[in-house]
Amino acid sequence: MNSSRCAACKHLRRRCPSDCIFAPYFPSNNPRRFAYVHKIFGASNVGKILQDLPVSYRGEAANTLCYEAYCRIKDPVYGCAGIVDQLNEQLKIAEYQLATIKAAITTALQPSYLLDQSLPML
Amino acid sequence: MSSGNVAGSGSAAAAGGGGPCGACKFLRRKCVPECVFAPYFDSEQGAAHFAAVHKVFGASNVSKLLLHIPESRRLDTVITVCYEAQSRLRDPIHGCVAHIFNLQQQVVNLQQELSYLQAHIAAMHLPAPPPLQQQQQLLVPVSPAILDFSPIPVAYDLSTVVAPQSSWSLYPRQQIEPQRQFSNTASQAAVGVGGGCDLQEMARELLNRHAPPMVGCSNQTSSLPPKSC
Repeated sequence: MNSSRCAACKHLRRRCPSDCIFAPYFPSNNPRRFAYVHKIFGASNVGKILQDLPVSYRGEAANTLCYEAYCRIKDPVYGCAGIVDQLNEQLKIAEYQLATIKAAITTALQPSYLLDQSLPML
Repeated sequence: MSSGNVAGSGSAAAAGGGGPCGACKFLRRKCVPECVFAPYFDSEQGAAHFAAVHKVFGASNVSKLLLHIPESRRLDTVITVCYEAQSRLRDPIHGCVAHIFNLQQQVVNLQQELSYLQAHIAAMHLPAPPPLQQQQQLLVPVSPAILDFSPIPVAYDLSTVVAPQSSWSLYPRQQIEPQRQFSNTASQAAVGVGGGCDLQEMARELLNRHAPPMVGCSNQTSSLPPKSC
């Protein structure tokens, strides 16, 4: 029945068997998920990746494949690597901020500073 | 093979009489002068790298991807595609997304610590340090609304991407025993020793090969620091 086909089989225009490897992870109500992975990885490769994994990990694998495919579609040159680079930059900024604040607190806790500033002891 | 090939630096096997490029060698097909893979996969180690790319993405998909990208950006594309392919072979469940999760968690942890300390600063009546970057955005969710095929005109520092990482995954891999390698042949060819070192080495090879100015290729920021694994 057409209405019971998963998004993958709909996209591939084929019958959706009862043991379809894609059906649990690419429901018919979200056709874009499969469209992304099909464009970047290809249905065959995705099927092989999922097939080689224990069932309990296939959902997670499908999600990360979708995300990777989406990143690659959005940024064909860098894909996920662009996200990694952005996060590394954010990490550097946060680490710098943290070091600055810690230095400020350390300075403030110096006895001479406290005496000068007449701050209450913590 | 035509010596007018854009990869005429002598490193790509398709130029001159060097034989097929690594991709065509792996695919066991004739390497034509206009082979899209030839500039980036040499006939020696290129075949091993291409094996991973072919296993995960497929030659046809990568070819289409490269053909839609300007030649000046293809080197970075190949490097990142190889990185993702190698990551997926090493971790079939998470691929390179594990690295993203890890970094994201680190950012969140640091931001929480920053907020906590900023509260202390305020309580101590100290002048606040420069404000935290407000544009620190966390990862976008996996349900995008827009399918945008246009390339983003940004160059990233790939040295931070392909550098070896001490821990890539938040998930305890020891709990599972998945088939980590799709096939012995492909994975042994693709997954080198030393963890991320082979990615750095691969990227360095590609960049060294393309160091001289080439026709159609401009020097982008995809340079690696000269450090060893």
